Order: sequence, then C-alpha cells, then structure tokens
Amino acid sequence: MASYIKSQQSKDFLSVFNHALFKVLVITASGILISVLLGIVLFIGFQGVRYFLPMQAYTITTSFEGIDTTENQGISAQTNQSMLASEYLLSHQAKESLRTSLQQKLVEQYAGQQSAIPSVTVVLANNVYLLTTNSGQKILGEFVSINENNSTLTSLSSLPKLQTTVMRLQQNLNDIQLQQLTPLHQDIYRLEQTDVNQNTPLFQKKLSEFNHWQANANSITEQIESYTIKLKLANQNVVSYPISQLQDLYQPNSLSFWQSIGYTLNQIYIFLTDFPKQAATSGGVFPAIFGTLLMVIIMALLVTPFGAISAIYLHEYAPNNRLTSIIRVSVSNMAAVPSVVYGVFGLGFFVYVLGGSIDKLLYSDELPSPTFGTPGLLWASLTMGILTLPVVIVATEEGLSRIPNNLRMGALALGATKFEVIKKVVLPMASPGILTGVILAVARAAGEVAPLILVGAVKFAPTLPIDGDFPFIHLERQFMHLGVFIYDGAFHNQTESQVASLMFATCMLLLVIVLILNISAILLRNKLRNQYERLE
Amino acid sequence: MFKLFEREVLSVNEFSKTQTSINVKDLNVWLNNKHVLKDINIRIPKNKITALIGQSGCGKTTLLNSFNRMNEFIPSHKMTGEVWINDRDIYDKRERVSRLRTQIGMVFQRPNPFPMSIYDNVSFGLKIQGEKNRRMLDDSVQKALKKAALWEEVRDRLFDSALTLSGGQQQRLMIARALALEPSILLLDEPTSALDPLTTLYIEELIVELKKQCTVLVVTHNMQQAARVSDYSAFIHMGELVEYSDSDSLFTMPNKQQTEDYITGRYG
Repeated sequence: MASYIKSQQSKDFLSVFNHALFKVLVITASGILISVLLGIVLFIGFQGVRYFLPMQAYTITTSFEGIDTTENQGISAQTNQSMLASEYLLSHQAKESLRTSLQQKLVEQYAGQQSAIPSVTVVLANNVYLLTTNSGQKILGEFVSINENNSTLTSLSSLPKLQTTVMRLQQNLNDIQLQQLTPLHQDIYRLEQTDVNQNTPLFQKKLSEFNHWQANANSITEQIESYTIKLKLANQNVVSYPISQLQDLYQPNSLSFWQSIGYTLNQIYIFLTDFPKQAATSGGVFPAIFGTLLMVIIMALLVTPFGAISAIYLHEYAPNNRLTSIIRVSVSNMAAVPSVVYGVFGLGFFVYVLGGSIDKLLYSDELPSPTFGTPGLLWASLTMGILTLPVVIVATEEGLSRIPNNLRMGALALGATKFEVIKKVVLPMASPGILTGVILAVARAAGEVAPLILVGAVKFAPTLPIDGDFPFIHLERQFMHLGVFIYDGAFHNQTESQVASLMFATCMLLLVIVLILNISAILLRNKLRNQYERLE
Repeated sequence: MFKLFEREVLSVNEFSKTQTSINVKDLNVWLNNKHVLKDINIRIPKNKITALIGQSGCGKTTLLNSFNRMNEFIPSHKMTGEVWINDRDIYDKRERVSRLRTQIGMVFQRPNPFPMSIYDNVSFGLKIQGEKNRRMLDDSVQKALKKAALWEEVRDRLFDSALTLSGGQQQRLMIARALALEPSILLLDEPTSALDPLTTLYIEELIVELKKQCTVLVVTHNMQQAARVSDYSAFIHMGELVEYSDSDSLFTMPNKQQTEDYITGRYG
C-alpha cells in the first residue's frame, strides 16, 4: 500500500513538473514568436513611415584643417584646390546624429590615414529651397531669381502667375503638334511613299504649311524655355531650370505643422499613384501595385474553378482507393515544392513550350520577335495559379468536410441527384471555404518573388498591362510587382538612404496588403465555423 | 385493454394485392461485409402505420433504408432479393433512384434542415423536380406545412432561417419537407428520439393523422410509442424478422418467447 502511494505521489510530482515545464515552454515560445513578429513589423513600419515624413535641409561642410599636404600625396591635389567642400543635404536625422554618422563614414573612407580625416560641420540650411522637377530630380539651393524673357525678378511672388503662363504655352504647343504637325507629317509621308514629285504644288503647299507650323512650335518652345528659375548651389554655382520642368518648390526647414501634414499626405498620394522616377529613387509604386493586383486577379480567376472542382472531386466523388490517396499526397507535396521550381517550370513549359507554340500558330508573321513566347503577365498568373492550387484545394476540402453528412442525405432522400446536392446544398455552404482558400492563395502570390522574376515581372515596365489600345488587356506584356520591385531596389541601389526608405515603404505596403488579406481569411473561416456549429 | 386510438385490423397474412404497399421478398443485405438483413419477407399494408422495433444494430434502419435505396451510399453494399413498391421492383435496373425517392419521403433521427429559409427548405424537393411556378410552390408549401401542423407557428416568418426553429419545430419541418412532394410512403427513422416527451406526443398525433394520406413506417426504440401509434409491428432481431403482426396482439400476447423478452425489457 505504501509503495502504491509513493508511486502515485511521484507520478503526480512528475506530471506537475511536466505541466510546469510545458507551461514555461509555451510561454517562452509564444513570447519569442510575438516579439519577432512585432520586431519585424515595427522595424519595417518605422523605416517605411520615414519615407513620407518631411526632411530637414542641412549644409554640410568638410574642412581639412592642419593637413600637411606634402605627406599625403594621394589627396594633395584635392586639398590644394579647395580646403573647404560644402553641399546641401536632406535628411531625417537630427543635426548631431547626422554629423556623427557622416564623420564615421569619412573615418571608414580614410582608414589608415588618421591625420588626413577631414572634420565635418553640419548647419541647418534655413533659407534653402528644395526644387523637384517633373522627372523626380531634387535640387537644393538658395533662390537667386526668376527669369522671364529678358527681365529678371528677384522675388518669388510672381512664380504662380508665370507657371500658368507656361502651362498655357505648353497647351498651345501640344495643340499645334497634335492638330497641325502630326496630320501634315502623315500627309507628306504618304506623298513621299507614292513617289509624288517634290515640285508639285500640293507637295509644296504641304511642305510650306509644315514649315510654318514647325516654326510656330519652335518659337513657342523657345518662349517656354526662356522662363527659368535660378538657384545657387552649395558650391556657389548658379544653375537655372526651366519653369516648365518645375513640379514643386518649397523651403524644407520652414514648414509649419499643417504644411508638414500636407507634405506627408502628398507623399503618400504620390507613392500610391505615381510611377517610379530617377531609377526608382523617388516617385511612387503605382505600376507595381497595379501589376500585382492584376496578376493576382487573373490568377484567382484561373485557380478558383480549378481548385474548387478538384476539391469537390476528391471529397465528393473520388472512391476511397489507392489512386485517390496518391492524388491527395501529391496535392500536399505540391504545396511543399520550392517556389523557384515553379518559376523554372513556368519558364520552360508555359513561356517556351506553350508561348512558343502560340507564336508559331497565331503570330507567325511577327517571328522571330516573340509575342507570347516571352515572359509575361499571363504566364506569371498561370505559374502562380499552379503554385497556389494546393492552398485552394486544401481549404475547399476542409470546408467540404465540415458540411454535415446528414444534410447531403436529407437532400438525396428528397430525390436530388448527387450533382444537384452539390450544386444546391454543398457548394453554397462550401463557398466561404473556397473564398478563404482563394484569399490565402492571393496573399501568397502577392508576396512571392523568385518565380515571378523568371516568368514576367520586371523591375521597370514602360507600359501598364491595361491601356487604351486594342485589345485593352495585354496579357503578353511584362509587368511590375511589389515583391520584385523591393528585391530589385533593395539589392541594386544600396548606397542611397532615400532608396532604402522607398523600399521600406514598399515593404510596409506589401505587409499591410498581405496582413489585410490574411485577417479577412481568418475572419471568414471563423464565421464559417460558427455557422456549421449551429448545424451540428 | 386501454387503447388510445381506435383501429380496424386485418391479420398480416390477409392483405390483398391492392392493400399492400411494400412487398419484400427474400431480402438479404450485406454492409461492410456484415450480413445485416437475413431472408426478410414482409408485406407492409397501405395507409397504415407499421412500427419496426428491435435492438440497436439489429437492422431496422437498414430495412427502412432499403425501401428508398439509401443503403447504396454505404461502401461495399450488397443485396439480394426483391423489394416491390406499388407493384414496381425498385431495384430494377430501369428504375430511376431520384424519381423513386420523390415518392418515398424520409425523416431522419435528428432534424437536418438546410441552412436556408423555412420556405426554401419545404420547396427544395419541388424545385429539384423543376417546379418554377411561384404560386404552385406557395400552395404546396402552405399545404405541406399545414399537414405537418407547423403552418400556424411559422406563417409569419416563412423566410427566416430554418435554423431559428426549435428541435420539435425542426422535426415537423422535416416532415413537411418530405410531404411537400406528396409521397405515397413516409419513412420515419426514430423521429422522436431527440425530442422531449411533450413534443414527442405532438409528433405522434401528427403521425396518426398522416396515415390518411400515406403509408407510414416508423422505426422506434420506444415500446409505448410503438403500441400507441402503430397498427402493425415487426420485431427484428439480429437481422431476422422474428415476429410480425397487428400491434395489439404483438404487444399483448406475442407468439415468440424472444418477442416477449424484448417488449417486457428482459433484454435489449
């Protein structure tokens, strides 16, 4: 009896110990998970949000004090020419930390030549203007003057008036080019093609008209170019920019609170709606958002019927035999295949085999330049469709298996055929399950990079896949994708801190999109679960 | 002998051909390689209530399911023998199963309403049959709900979800759903086992009403219920039909010792 009690006690002790250990393990594991997730989100969020905040302009001056030029032959030429170098810089950092980081960079640059390291001074450049051009270029400088034809204005107050003048001129120029020059040019080209003598009156008339309008256009262009704005750079050089190229001009250091908010909102707007500019260092990521959305929509249209039909076959029709279990195992294994393998498969099968055949059959007159036989939107969507097919199948099957069997029996007993039972009872109830699968698939496809690089996503696409030209949707075109954009930008432009924050902002956007998709999938699944629990 | 309902009864061997609804000849059924029903021969009379009683797993439900061929959904199902319903061999190759099932209504042990409105539940079978006329559907739904004694309770909320009904209401809705197709036979598989005694009584009264329109077969574990409701009773034990006669004689003076043991609760 005593030994029994003892063994019972030790058992209890062990189980308590196990229980406590288990608890500690669970707490530790979940703590680590949550902190890692929070860490990633906060880091990306912090870095990404910075992209939208206004920056301060600083004057950076590097000076070489007490340098014995004779000892440092390597840099003597430079030091003789100017002992002082200064430039303007935009930065999110505060003055002191900026100075420290710049100094640190110089120390790294001049490694081993301690005496040659220049010292850096950082001063807020308060009267400096930031000029943004239409092409996304940013220039910092002190305002000098506005030039209008031959007169020079030293005040900025007339700038808005000049801008409207320039805009009107630009409009005139466009009108001339579209309504006069283009048709005339076409006429002349046609006359040349039909071997009409250059001396015939018609030809002469057209030529003189063309010259007349061309001269008009040239004079307007000259006029437009005569409106310039002059800025003095930090190295005292004065540069002038045509007002027609001017997008934005403001003093970064003297923004009020509301102006800062306006700046941030404007940055967000530009980020979401503009094209990338200056080799993806400024501007926005609109084509990447557009490309990603279009790709996942086409993919969802392809994968939903396939996945749902496969799942319905597997769950409702397939006999319980070896072949079915082989199919099931294959579906599970498909989900585990590395995504780059799908990319290679897509390139080899879809692009070269399928695309090549389509080109031979339908676009043979355009060969050897390929139409569909090159990476493009359609092939990317198809590849991602295959990649995400198991997700849809598994989610749909889960949805189907949650439908109580007695509902199927009830419908069958009322004289419904199997197909009618599936159509009228099973599918309506399984549709949230299918939708969950599709959302998860879309979230997966939105975040993939490796296969997309192979089958159609590019770092910069000059045109969107949808435009006004027939047939409006160009499935053969290459497209931009958020993940690929981040990959490319982050790896190929490491030097510029501004680029890094554009990449972080894109990361944040991608994270937000995937998070929203996943949360909606989870909510949908919970709703579905509650609905079934009421039935059982 | 206290009798709740007056009935006229014939001996089970006296049914003429016209009085027979279901005629089972040498029926053997194997499910999952188990011999569930053994040489069953039984004639079910028209417009009467027949109760099937017996232990759990004795084959009552299998017998019930073989009347509307619901056994076919069980893998490795095998059968021999014949089942004739209204002078048609329902296991004939030319017989369309979905058509057969519209003529034989079935109500399951637990209510299984579809997650749709009350109206859509009742009109489900008719819509499957291709009935599209809204007025015809309305009429049939109303008639079926009235027959199932549910109309008064749901007439104001026909388009509410059927899942909002109580258990007893749901079971009556299931009866209405089956009746909407105007079947000649109604199979009830332990229809009251999931309900409280009062609701059970209510459903029993309903079942007695229903025999005016169709032949009713009811599987039950409740001896009192079988005695109260049914005109005829069949006792099945280990897959064999032990005794089959009018309920009065079966429950008052059974011929076989096995039957007496079962109904007096000596086993099972």
